This record gives sequence, C-alpha cells and structure tokens, in this order.
Amino acid sequence: MPGNADTRQKVRHYLAAILVCALTAIVATPLRLVLDLANIIMLFLLVVFLVALKLGRGPAVMSAFLAVALFDFFFVPPRLTFAVADVQYLVTFAVMLAVGLATAHLTATLSKQSAVAIARELHTRHLYELARDLAGAATHEQVSQVLSRYMAGSGHSAALHLLDAAGELPSLFSDVPLASLAHMAIRQGSFVETTQLNDNGGHTLVLPLQSPIEVRGVMVAVVNSDDAVDHRQFETVANLVAIAVERLHYVEVAQQTQLEATAERLRSSVLSSLSHDLRTPLTGLVGMADALALAAAHQNDAIHHAATAIRDQAHAMSRLVANLLDMARLHAGKVELRKDWRLFEDVIGSALKLLKPSLAQHPVKVVLDAGLPLVQFDDVLLERVLCNLLENGAKYSQPGQAIEIRGFVLGDHACISVQDHGPGFPLEQLESLFHMFVRGKHESAIPGVGLGLAICRAIVEAHNGTIQASNPEQGGACVTLCLPLGNPPAIEPESLP
Amino acid sequence: MTAIGSVILIEDDAQIRHFVKEALAAEGWKVFEADTGSRGLIEAGARKPDLLVVDLGLPDMDGVEVVRDFRNWSTVPILILSARSEEQEKIFALDAGADDYLTKPFGIGELLARVRAVTRRRLQGSETSPKLCFDDVEVDFSRHSVMRGGIPVHLTPLEYRLLGVLLANAGKIMSHRRLMQEVWGPNHTESAHYLRIYMSHLRQKLEADPTQPAHLLTETGVGYRFEP
Repeated sequence: MPGNADTRQKVRHYLAAILVCALTAIVATPLRLVLDLANIIMLFLLVVFLVALKLGRGPAVMSAFLAVALFDFFFVPPRLTFAVADVQYLVTFAVMLAVGLATAHLTATLSKQSAVAIARELHTRHLYELARDLAGAATHEQVSQVLSRYMAGSGHSAALHLLDAAGELPSLFSDVPLASLAHMAIRQGSFVETTQLNDNGGHTLVLPLQSPIEVRGVMVAVVNSDDAVDHRQFETVANLVAIAVERLHYVEVAQQTQLEATAERLRSSVLSSLSHDLRTPLTGLVGMADALALAAAHQNDAIHHAATAIRDQAHAMSRLVANLLDMARLHAGKVELRKDWRLFEDVIGSALKLLKPSLAQHPVKVVLDAGLPLVQFDDVLLERVLCNLLENGAKYSQPGQAIEIRGFVLGDHACISVQDHGPGFPLEQLESLFHMFVRGKHESAIPGVGLGLAICRAIVEAHNGTIQASNPEQGGACVTLCLPLGNPPAIEPESLP
Repeated sequence: MTAIGSVILIEDDAQIRHFVKEALAAEGWKVFEADTGSRGLIEAGARKPDLLVVDLGLPDMDGVEVVRDFRNWSTVPILILSARSEEQEKIFALDAGADDYLTKPFGIGELLARVRAVTRRRLQGSETSPKLCFDDVEVDFSRHSVMRGGIPVHLTPLEYRLLGVLLANAGKIMSHRRLMQEVWGPNHTESAHYLRIYMSHLRQKLEADPTQPAHLLTETGVGYRFEP
C-alpha cells in the first residue's frame, strides 16, 4: 500500500527532527560557557530552518516547539527546569517560536513549489517530446505508436479511431457503446468521460480530434488511476494528435493530387503525340492526292476521280481520328472547357463552312430566332458537336434532301436542333444512340463507328446541357441540344455621334 | 517562269514538305526546305525570303519560338501549319507575329489561297484603292460610305471601324485579341463578346445569308477572317 509507505516516511521525518533537536541541545550545552544565550537561540533557529528545508512542514513546526522547550529546559536559568527566572525570557520564547514557525512555513512552501515546478517541467518536456515525435510521424501507425509510448510513460493507454470519408469510424464497428460515445464526443466538440466501460475501475476518456479545419476522429484514453483526472492534459495531447493526423491527411491529398497531375500530363502527351503521328501521314495523303488530282484534271478522268476519292477519304479519316482523340480526352474527364459568352451563329456558320464539301448535296436551311442571347460555351467543342450532327444528317439522308438547323430559346435553355429528312432513328434505340460504338443500323453500308453522338453527348453534358434525339412527325431524324442560359454580360450600346 | 519570290518551308515530315514544295514551285515560288526550326532560322537568315511557312510541331523547337525569333528581325509574312486540336497554339503563334495558319490536313487549293492572301500586299504593293466591292456591297473609304445593291447601309462608327480593319486585312485571319485592340483599343482585349455582337450586326447588314456567311467568316477558337 502506498499510504503505508508514506506514513512510515513521515514518522521517520518526525523522529529525525527530534533527534536533530536533541543533538543540538547536547552540542550546545558545553558551548553555553563560551556563547551568549542569544547565539544559542540562533543555533536552534538554524536547526528549525534546516529541518523545514529537508523534512517538510510538520517536523519543522514540531522542532520549533521542541527548540523552545529544550532552550528553556537546558539553557535558561534556573537550568534543568521549565521555570523561568527572568520574565523577559517569555518574550524571547515568543519571538523564537514565531520566527521558527514562520521559517518552517516559508521554507516548506518554497520547497513544495519547486517540487511542483519540477514536476510541471517534466510534464512539459514529455509533451514537447510527444509533439516532436508526432511531427516526425509519417503514417497513422506511427502516430498511434508515439501516442501509446507517451501514454505508457504516465501509466495510461490510448487508442486512435479515425473517421473515414463517409463520416464513420470503421475501427469501432464491433464496439457499439464506444462508437456511440465517440460520435457524441464529435458532435459536442468536447470530451466524454465514463467509468462504465472499464472493468478495473479506471476512467475512459473519449476526446474528439479537433483540428483547425475539421474533426478527424477520436482518441480513446484509458486512465489507470483513482486520482482526479487532469482533463486539460488529455485535451492537449488530443490537440497535438489531431494536428499530426491533419498534417498526414494533407500529405495524402498532396500526393494524390501530384499523382493525378502526373497521370494527366502523361495522358495528354500520349494523346497529342498520337494526334500528331496520325495526322501527319493523313496530311501528306491529302496533299499528294490533291496534287495528283490537279495534275490529272485535264488529261485522265479515271486518275482524277481516284485521286479526289483518296483525298476525300483521307479527310474523312482525319475527322474520325479527331473524334477518337476527342473522345479519349473527354472520357478522361479532364477537358478544360474554354467557355466564353458566344453566339450560336458563329459556330453554326463555321461548322457549315467546314463541312461544305460533305454538304454539297444537301440544301441547308438555318433558322435562328431573332435576338438569341449570348450563351456560355466552348466554341471549338460545340463546333465539333454541330459537325458530327450535320455529318450524320448528310450520311443518313438522300442527296437533295434538306437539312435544317434551328436556334431557339426554350425556358431557361438556349437550344440548337439539327434535322434531316432521312429515315429517322430506329425507335427502340433513341436513348442508346448516345452510347459509345452504338449505331442505328449495325454493319450498315454507311461508314462510321458510332462515336459521333457519344462525343456530342459528352461535350453537351460537360456544358451542363442536355441532348435528345427524336423523330419528328414530318419525318427524318432530329437531334436537339440545350445549353443553360445563365446571365450574359451586358452590352453597352454604342454612343452614336 | 521567273520566281515570284522565295519561301523557306520549315516542316519535319518529308511527304508534306514534298507536296507543299511542289505546289508552291508550280505557283512560281523558289522554295528552300528545312526540317528543323534551327535549320530553318539559319536558312531564313541566309536567303532573306519573301515568305516563311512553319509547322507548329517541330522536333527541335516549338514553332511559336521560330515565329517569335524570326519576327525579331523580319516583317515578311509567316504562314503556320498546325494540327486541329491546337487552337490555343494557333493563337500563341498569331500573337507572336504569324500572319495566318492552315489546319492539317489541308488541300493544295487552300494552301495556295492562304499564301496569296498573306503575300498579296507585299507582292502587289500597297493598294490604295479607296473602293472595295464584294457581292453587291460597295465600301468607299474616301467617302465613308457603304452601299448594298445601290442603297446606302447605315453602320455605327464601331461597325464601320471593324469592317475597315477586316477589309484592310482581306483574306487574313484576325485573332479576337487583335481585332479588339484595333477597334476598341488596347484596354478592351478581354471583352470579346462585344466583338461577336458587332460581327453579328455586320453580317445582318451585309451578308446575303447571315447564318451562312460567305465573306465575314468565323475561325472557331481563334478569330475572324474577311474573305473577298
């Protein structure tokens, strides 16, 4: 029992104090012939001081009284009695006792304060070491180890339970009572204390790991002592751990971001070199076929025809390559839209110009509502959408059949529809048409791989818009895309001269 | 046939170089070839050409760098050859001083048309004709008037200035930035939607079918072009 040892120690201190006082009396007895009584008093006061310093308050107070008694008995005439010849010695006793008690009190207080200071310093040093070790921890396991080592140093134990992305504590799934306490602590933002969970009477403290940004989990500390628990100490530890966990979290985030950026760089460099390597031979093909067609223009019809066909096929191939590469980019989900406030007529006009050769057989009618607003979109990508829709229109309708483009506002969307007068979409496929590699008629004679509409959908959806296929009553196939209107910037009217 | 001028052709692919060279030679150009940017710049320094044709994707350096380097000491027209998905690159090249670009793959007709457009002024001397006609539109710069089918068309001062800049650079691509700068001034280069609205007005007033323009053309992602 610790209490027993304490008592024995106290008894020893009191005995030592008595012994020292007695010794002083014995030593001082022969000296009384040489020294004044006033100096003998000094000797006793010195002893009281030393006892207070070394043995504590209780023995010091006792030795103050003892010193007065011994002085009276052995030194104040008449000696060897407690009687006092001169009344003024009573004043001496009173002063001696007062000084002794005051000395005892002050000295004992001072030494107790210094003991507390030393203990506090030790505690601070441990906390500092904890902080230092936590700062060096590179994984959650290391954080746990550092924490356990620190807790073991003060006879306690602690465990960490971290929140996952869904706000759950996966490490506490099997421990429902503790999990509910943990969630309570997280909700309250302060510790929860209980004695219920521990069989041998210790406290369990559940502390939220409150980092500056958010709560990352809980620290469960099991305190193995009956003493009043210093909550502040545990909260400090929990704060340090929270900061370490937070740091690890952001290290992870940074690593992930870096990884993604590297992957993205790699992907786009592969795509751009692929694009270059595929386009370069096609460019040569188009140019040389063109040169051949020009050279044969007036001499050999067959060669001219073949060369023109080669050129047109190479152009078609180039568009296919462009579609494939765009799809790869869009599929990676990392296309940076160069959105700005633009007009539909610009992209419609440029798409028609780009497809002029393919559309030569089809009269194109464009009807734009008057006063179409500025709409936010990426013109290069929307041009790709329109090109694909127009190309489909040309492919799936007979020469001479018209293609109509309409631009209009519907609710809070600005829409473009492209309609041909061909056979229309197969009804059962109206939705799946927008999936990759799905075509209206499998293996039909019309060239294509079923990418066009999938790209259209990817681009329109990247703009938070919608795209729909329909077969209008008057026949043909119609695709309508709608982009959100937003708040276009104001155009200040020109001040006329 | 005497050469109408000399051209440095910087392109790393031999096949493309070959047919471009043949096409230009047939037009009467004296063609010097280079397969790298640094080689091309050396050639350009030595030959003092009348035209530079540069591929943007060169093995040793960025085509934009070639343009910038060349522009430091020469005002000769520069024509860029570029692959499609590179609108931003085209804009960089135009801002660096290129005059126009051709998107790969391109036909010989397009190539020659572009070459004629960028070299027109240099070879024919600065035309000073105050009148310019396209379709049924007649623009008389000396009298500040625009007629369409004999009927005066009212243009606002900004519309007139925009038309003037486009016509003065007939056949050449004009980037949004450059048009904004020349029409609205250097402080307005960021509000390109003004430009789009005014282009739309011009088309309404001057094009036969504003939705399928024949002269005031959009170069998606880059700018506008007036095609006479």
